[in-house]
Amino acid sequence: MTVLPDLLAGLEFSTLPQQLVNGILLGAIYALIALGYTMVYGVLKLINFAHGEVFMLGAYTALFTSWSFGFTQAGNKQDSSPGILILMLIVSMTVCGIVGVLIERFAYRPMRSQPRIASLITAIGISLLLQYGGQLFLPSSPPPSISDKVNPFKGNIEIPLKPADSALLAQAEQLKAKVTRTKAAYDEQLKSEKDSFNLSPVGKELRTASQDAERDYRNAIDKANKDALVITFPQGQVIMLVTTVVLMIILTWLVMKTTAGRAMRAASLDFDAASLMGINVNTVIAFTFFIGSALAGAGAMMNASFLGGTKIDTFFGMLPGVKAFVAAVLGGIGNIPGAVLGGILMGLAETMVIWAGYGNYKDAIAFIVLIVVLLVKPGGLLGSNKVEKV
Amino acid sequence: MKFWGVRLASILGAVAFCFLLEGVAQGQSSFVQRLFVLAGLYVTLAVSLNLINGITGQFSIGHAAFYQVGAYTAGFCASRFFAQLNLPPAAWLLLMMITSAITAGLAGLLVGLPSLRLKGDYLAIVTLGFGEIIRIFAQNQEALGGAYGLTVAPKIQYVWAAWLLAILCIAVCRNLLRTAHGLPFLAVREDEIASSAMGVNVTQTKVVAFVLGSMFAGAAGAILAHFESFVSPPMFTMDVSFTIVTMVVLGGTGSITGSVLAAILLFYLPEKMRDFTNIPLSGVAAAFVAISAAVFAIRWVMQNFHGTAKDRAIRYLGIVVGALVIWFISKALLGNVPSLKENIDGSKLRMVVFSVTLVVLMLLRPQGMLGHHEFSWDWVRSKFGKPTVKEATA
Repeated sequence: MTVLPDLLAGLEFSTLPQQLVNGILLGAIYALIALGYTMVYGVLKLINFAHGEVFMLGAYTALFTSWSFGFTQAGNKQDSSPGILILMLIVSMTVCGIVGVLIERFAYRPMRSQPRIASLITAIGISLLLQYGGQLFLPSSPPPSISDKVNPFKGNIEIPLKPADSALLAQAEQLKAKVTRTKAAYDEQLKSEKDSFNLSPVGKELRTASQDAERDYRNAIDKANKDALVITFPQGQVIMLVTTVVLMIILTWLVMKTTAGRAMRAASLDFDAASLMGINVNTVIAFTFFIGSALAGAGAMMNASFLGGTKIDTFFGMLPGVKAFVAAVLGGIGNIPGAVLGGILMGLAETMVIWAGYGNYKDAIAFIVLIVVLLVKPGGLLGSNKVEKV
Repeated sequence: MKFWGVRLASILGAVAFCFLLEGVAQGQSSFVQRLFVLAGLYVTLAVSLNLINGITGQFSIGHAAFYQVGAYTAGFCASRFFAQLNLPPAAWLLLMMITSAITAGLAGLLVGLPSLRLKGDYLAIVTLGFGEIIRIFAQNQEALGGAYGLTVAPKIQYVWAAWLLAILCIAVCRNLLRTAHGLPFLAVREDEIASSAMGVNVTQTKVVAFVLGSMFAGAAGAILAHFESFVSPPMFTMDVSFTIVTMVVLGGTGSITGSVLAAILLFYLPEKMRDFTNIPLSGVAAAFVAISAAVFAIRWVMQNFHGTAKDRAIRYLGIVVGALVIWFISKALLGNVPSLKENIDGSKLRMVVFSVTLVVLMLLRPQGMLGHHEFSWDWVRSKFGKPTVKEATA
């Protein structure tokens, strides 16, 4: 058994906390998409294959909204404000919600009396149609991305877990004085130089001295920081996480406390009995699709604008969609807290695979998790196993 | 005696047909030869997937995985053993088809086993996932050429091999359904619980269907590898799986004839569309509008009109004419939208056509073109007003 020590030797444990944080941030997005899958499955017992494509349309909506504020690639608008971000979020959520309702109305509702496999094929068809049809009408080559100027929160929040070596740091600070001194001398010399590219011998000497001092200082700092452990949260991603949590609280309130939510839970428990009790199941289903798709839209907007330079094309939603579906199954499909748990676990699983050095397999891990879950515990972590009766 | 006579004549006819195709293809350009071979491969893939999806009712959407396993097996073996064995090309191709069929069959066993516990949409997504895992695995294996792919040394381009395999696949599926060995497959499709109560070994039936279907896909992969003399992961993406699924669904789940016809149609149509290079985008958008309008009008007539068949046909005709008018008007209107003024290549419409086919088919005729029906000479005879065999003997 030499494999395990070899495997462990290849792991960089000092980066683990940061990777765990990244995993949770990624998982938040998966959780938002997984909620849509799980809610639709809960009510209709249908895997909405087109959900990933709704996510893709949400990213495009956010892109177009940012363009309409002047944040195009060519444009040079600089100042953004949280208001624009909130507006982008609301527009994306609304558009996605409407798209979801339309897909349900025109593609899934006519299929309700057919065998379930017919709805599944329709869902695949709609998903392919949005991917490839979208390619004709939406800008996709080269894939555009939302300008990172939209995001006014650029800084990082740093949490030091283990401080840098203070003695080494103090040594480095002493070097800093030398850096400022030589730099000032060089700058002074530069003023008297005629050509900054072709320096006089004195200038060259001063430049070398300044650069040497700078390098020594950097090396000293790096040496001091070598054992330090800092977790970095980009501010944008913290906002993403907070928004996700807020949306989930709103969702919980909506599902648990309102009449519409009660109707939704009733329909998911027993579709026919609910309609006999006077619940308009068509409205409930449309409502479910609206909420689920709006959450995907929120996820898409945040994914596209806070993770700088995310390329958007019409296949943007395919992999997140599949991974979120796996997250929903992992948590127990039809179960709302399960979708959130599954999403976070999927995000963690993916970053762990990258951390372990198998980044090439990061897209395969979702399917491996899915197959294992379905074989070992088909009901998912929080779901219940149902025995099929004749 | 008559039975064996018919059987022998069928076999000879099939072989003659294959070599006739070979003869026709010989005089043509290499592009046309490629079309002939790929059409044969798609027929094999569609019919073999139909055995899993249509006949046994296990909805699998990862058929490209088995195709890929077969192609990579052939590619890998060719690079290692072809030079040593020194076989004639035809014998080597046959050997590779058998080897690939065996490895793909093992892969089918691997997927078939979890399918015992899963059904419907879960099974679909597991097969899809399996296809992706296989592709990503091949992409990251240096021995299999990584992302670049494998060059397959002997280039063997026999049109007849592809079509002989297709006919073999059709014959196996057809004969299976005509015998007692095939009836359990249909029984499992109709009702698993009832069929197990009647003594059908459901587990075994499902696994056999998976293994048999994937074996044919594997053999098709071997032919593909030697025909293209190159295999790479992008040749086996989800698109290929979805294309095969569309063929099966369009043909009618369970109908072998339907799968064959749909495979040829859906293979030929996109190839034909490559000839149109300047399709105005406004025309495509207008077609979306017109098709949606026509589909919902036809659905309305299907549900709310209860007159004679002739009146119904007249209404359908009216809807089609109306849709053309809508297309024409909306094309003229949309032509003014600046972003729709571009022209696109027909080749870009390939998957769009497939997806529209899937959705429209599900909305209007979920059982597919032929439903569960098969081609038969009796049907031809009855069309010419002659009595069928049953009626004649009665």
